[in-house]
Amino acid sequence: MTCPRRGFVLGLIHRVNYNWCKMFIVFLVLAVVTILSGWSNFDDGIETGPYKFKYPVSFGNRISIPEDNPTTKQGVYLGRMLFYEKKLSRDNTLSCAGCHHQNKAFTDGRPFGEGIEPIPASRNSMSLANLIWTRKYFWDSRAGSLEEQAVVPLTNPTEMGQSLEISVRKLRETTTYPPIFKLVFGEETITGDRIVKAIAQFERTLISCNSHYDQYLAGAYKPTEQELKGMELFMTGPNAAQGIRGGNCVHCHGGVKNYLELFHNNGLDSVPKDNGIETMTGLAADRGRFKAPTLRNIALTGPYMHDGRFKMLEDVIDHYSDHIVESPSLSSFLRGESNEPGGHSLKLLPSEKKEIIAFLNMLTDSTFITDPRFSDPNLPSAKIKFKSTASSK
Amino acid sequence: MKHYLFITLISFTGLFSSPQLKAQNAEKQTVVKVTGEVINPLELKLDDLAQFSQTEVTRKDRDGKDHVYSGVILSAILRKAGVTLGKDLRGENLTKYALIEASDGYQVVFALPELDKDFTDRTIILADMVDGKPLPPGDGPFRIIVQDEKKPARCIKQVTSIKIQFAK
Repeated sequence: MTCPRRGFVLGLIHRVNYNWCKMFIVFLVLAVVTILSGWSNFDDGIETGPYKFKYPVSFGNRISIPEDNPTTKQGVYLGRMLFYEKKLSRDNTLSCAGCHHQNKAFTDGRPFGEGIEPIPASRNSMSLANLIWTRKYFWDSRAGSLEEQAVVPLTNPTEMGQSLEISVRKLRETTTYPPIFKLVFGEETITGDRIVKAIAQFERTLISCNSHYDQYLAGAYKPTEQELKGMELFMTGPNAAQGIRGGNCVHCHGGVKNYLELFHNNGLDSVPKDNGIETMTGLAADRGRFKAPTLRNIALTGPYMHDGRFKMLEDVIDHYSDHIVESPSLSSFLRGESNEPGGHSLKLLPSEKKEIIAFLNMLTDSTFITDPRFSDPNLPSAKIKFKSTASSK
Repeated sequence: MKHYLFITLISFTGLFSSPQLKAQNAEKQTVVKVTGEVINPLELKLDDLAQFSQTEVTRKDRDGKDHVYSGVILSAILRKAGVTLGKDLRGENLTKYALIEASDGYQVVFALPELDKDFTDRTIILADMVDGKPLPPGDGPFRIIVQDEKKPARCIKQVTSIKIQFAK
């Protein structure tokens, strides 16, 4: 015989269990649906597989991709997200793009970069273009890979100012990043090494090869007379004795990429404030020696020089034409390089300066600075493009 | 009190004349590193170059005039480093080359047979003097001089590194 009171209690327990059970099943179904829909969207949005670089044959294949960081489509996708990720800075206000604006060929228009602190960086923010052909990074060549380079601005107290450990922790706390890291690196574990590897993968894709100069080399653009004269001056070394006029810009900025990975003291100061490569090597011959950067998109990347001292291209040409400063470490190729017998600098005519600038403007690649593959994926207008671009590769 | 001041002054004088500081003040010397496919990696300073037999090569410079460069035959340096030259320069070793780099990042290449006297009589030296004087700062302290080569592009200035590699 069952006690009526006991039966009531058992019934109550049974009803409560049944309700809990029902709620649990509903929750489980919802969770599974959510996860599955999340996965399917995810797979729809990010194509995977090796990334194929496209560039003119004349650019050559002397490219730098570390064996332990092959470029993949999903890696580039993640790298782009991280390049524009402000959580990688100490106060969540600054991403890599803060000093590398796409519309300025990934420079910032300032003499010195500005980080999270109101202290200017020590040098001018460099353009990020055609880095896959670069082997030595920074103005002073101190980094031997893009992976090594990326660590510096991320962790430098005056730039993004955050240790990789804290960046890892912040990204782990998001719902977005762990699954993408799994897609790229095979597991959800986020590490500092993986953050810089992904950023480097994205940066390698920043290829600029569709300027008027590229089109001219491909036979698809007819330069103006002024541009052609500028090109001739750019490519020719002056020889006053033989009456040959030139700017000899090609000596440091030659080749189809306008980049030769050379480092020179280019006569800015007799006693430099910033000793450049000498700071690392301790050699007097390296005093005031800095990278001769790419001239790709040079009209967009002012102000110029390692300290941004020249606002305009005209100022740069004036320097090489009329204001080379002698010092013991001045590069020998600038000594006595002149269109005038016995001259100490180029001594170009006003019309020649304009012609060289006309040629330099031919190096602007308007498709590079508007390419949706390189833009901020967080902008509402870019989100659709981001997804469609990722899946169209 | 005066005693303490005197001792303090003496201490500071000692600090500033310490051997470490003297070493820091002494100007650092450029070295040429010989690395890669070598048995004995080398780091050569000017004094080390003087230990080798000296050779002269005459060639024109940008001024169009003949200049006498003196230094050490490059293959002699490579032999000291244990590079496969002479009877060992055969088979796969014929795919080796010397990648020479300057402090400004400029690089040039010589295939090993271009440097070996069993293959050629042309002399290629690592020079440290021109017309009896040290090379000027923009060219030296070390410069490759290639005898009789029409263009001076491989007469690389400010040499800092010679790396022997296999072509891949």
